[in-house]
Amino acid sequence: MPIEVSNLTHTYMKGTTSEVTAISGVSFRIEDGEFVGLIGATGSGKSTLIQHLNGLLRPTSGTVLVDGVDIWSKGVSLKQIRRKIGLVFQYPEQQVFEETVYDDIAFGPRNLGFSQAEVEARVEKACELVGLDKELLPRSPFELSGGQVRRVAIAGILAIQPKVLILDEPTAGLDPKGRMEILDNIKQLHETGMTVILVSHNMDDVARLCERVMVLEKGTLVFDGPAREVFTQREFLYSKQLRPPEVTLLMEKLRQRGWAVRQDVLTVEEAYAEIMKELRKKGVAGAI
Amino acid sequence: MISRGIVVGQYYPVNSLVHSLDPRAKIVISMIFMVVLFVGNNFYSFAVAGTFAVLAVTLSKIPWKVLIRGLRPIVFIMLFTTALHLFLTPGPAIFQIGPLKASWPGLIQGLFIGIRLIILIVFTSLLTLTTSPIELTDGLEDILKPFSRIGVPAHEIAMMMTIALRFIPTLLEEADRIMKAQMSRGADFESGNMIQRAKSLVPLLVPLFVSAFRRADELAMAMEARCYRGGEGRTRMRQLRLSGGDYLALGLTIIMSALVIYTRIRFGPVIPRGTL
Ligand SMILES: Nc1ncnc2c1ncn2[C@@H]1O[C@H](COP(=O)(O)OP(=O)(O)O)[C@@H](O)[C@H]1O
Ligand SMILES: [Mg+2]
Repeated sequence: MPIEVSNLTHTYMKGTTSEVTAISGVSFRIEDGEFVGLIGATGSGKSTLIQHLNGLLRPTSGTVLVDGVDIWSKGVSLKQIRRKIGLVFQYPEQQVFEETVYDDIAFGPRNLGFSQAEVEARVEKACELVGLDKELLPRSPFELSGGQVRRVAIAGILAIQPKVLILDEPTAGLDPKGRMEILDNIKQLHETGMTVILVSHNMDDVARLCERVMVLEKGTLVFDGPAREVFTQREFLYSKQLRPPEVTLLMEKLRQRGWAVRQDVLTVEEAYAEIMKELRKKGVAGAI
Repeated sequence: MISRGIVVGQYYPVNSLVHSLDPRAKIVISMIFMVVLFVGNNFYSFAVAGTFAVLAVTLSKIPWKVLIRGLRPIVFIMLFTTALHLFLTPGPAIFQIGPLKASWPGLIQGLFIGIRLIILIVFTSLLTLTTSPIELTDGLEDILKPFSRIGVPAHEIAMMMTIALRFIPTLLEEADRIMKAQMSRGADFESGNMIQRAKSLVPLLVPLFVSAFRRADELAMAMEARCYRGGEGRTRMRQLRLSGGDYLALGLTIIMSALVIYTRIRFGPVIPRGTL
């Protein structure tokens, strides 16, 4: 299910005085099983870009190929595309509407016309994937906590069993515990072979999870490459209203003080290993 | 697809004499104009009213293109009423298609109604094009104020209008987003029969109402936190004051009205009574 975007441009309200070109000339290709982070300042066009990948927005110019087929060519069913490419919107809890959690998660599979038994199996599977307690299924989604409703909403997409999962700022507005749990779920989903595209403001999250990072600035793709490469370029990130992850900044501080630690450290675990190595060299590790 | 940037009331912000008029004067002039347009009963009346409208448009610096675009949605209604008159008014025939007979009086009557509609719409859209929604509601509140003694909640009506105008774009944006989110879950808003389509709106309407109620709650809190307690004793940052220009505009309107009444008395109806 590779996704190939070429020369994509999107202009909102074309032909009016308030037209905005939110995406201009973006091209990239995403292979099966990748974990891609999409970052950029607010208004840089992240949400606009991902809405093209499952056919919610139609490109003003350029093409989106899924499995080598232009999704806007004749005879392509967008419903089928959306079944393969699941998109979780920002604040997805605002889309729940059913009387029970079960019905809300079942909304997607029912729309796709699955049998009662199949729907039930899918709902159960989706609950497992996001770590949702089955006790909650008969409850009203409007009674749940923020983190729980968000998980219900993500489960609603997972119940469609897409091959590609796109999440638009899935942790925005959650408490730290809820955030960690959601991120762990996403990581596990990727480990089962799903292609994941994560839109996020949080550099720590992206650094921890993504192998490849794309940076958008004012609708153009200004970086597309390994996470390690982009997060060590402090000045570049600052110029795009972004910043390196906290641990990377810590490593930089240590280097300034003459420590011979690696600069391209992206996670707390890596930082720990580096620091311990250095302490051992200095012969003080035993004291800790 | 619904999207943001839909401007309700279509305010067209430029600097012009008409824009700078007091909103109350503009509302009153528009109302007088509407009445006058229906008092006028021949083409001379329209010449007077039309000249007045053209003068106003010129002074407002609104491009004719914008006004003509505003006429587009009602072209059908206009053609329809004109055609009705053309074919249903008895009198000497111009031509005949089967049982339908186009008559001269019908043609004149049809043109008459069509021109009246065009002038009416051009002039009244000038009100919303040159007055921001906030000014409009402020003006309306002032005009309604004398009626508050007989129980018309002038301030509340104006406040409700202001809030509604403010939140329409927000709600449209939200509707767009929720619709897309549900489409990502395989929802289908476009196909099916009437009942299926009505049903398919539930996943859109429920979240929309939930969020509208939440917003209303939050807004009420925020207003109370800033000590809002209705219109009593409340003063305005922008005081409305009638200036020389406003009196001039009102004066011109009265002269125009007098002229239209004169043409009515002098020339009579476009199709003299008794010929029908
Ligand atoms: N529905 C819309 N109509 C008009 N303009 C929009 C719409 N959605 C987004 N925009 C504009 O497009 C640009 C990119 O927005 P968006 O894709 O939401 O950015 P991001 O998700 O990176 O914050 C912004 O300037 C925004 O104002
Ligand atoms: Mg966004």
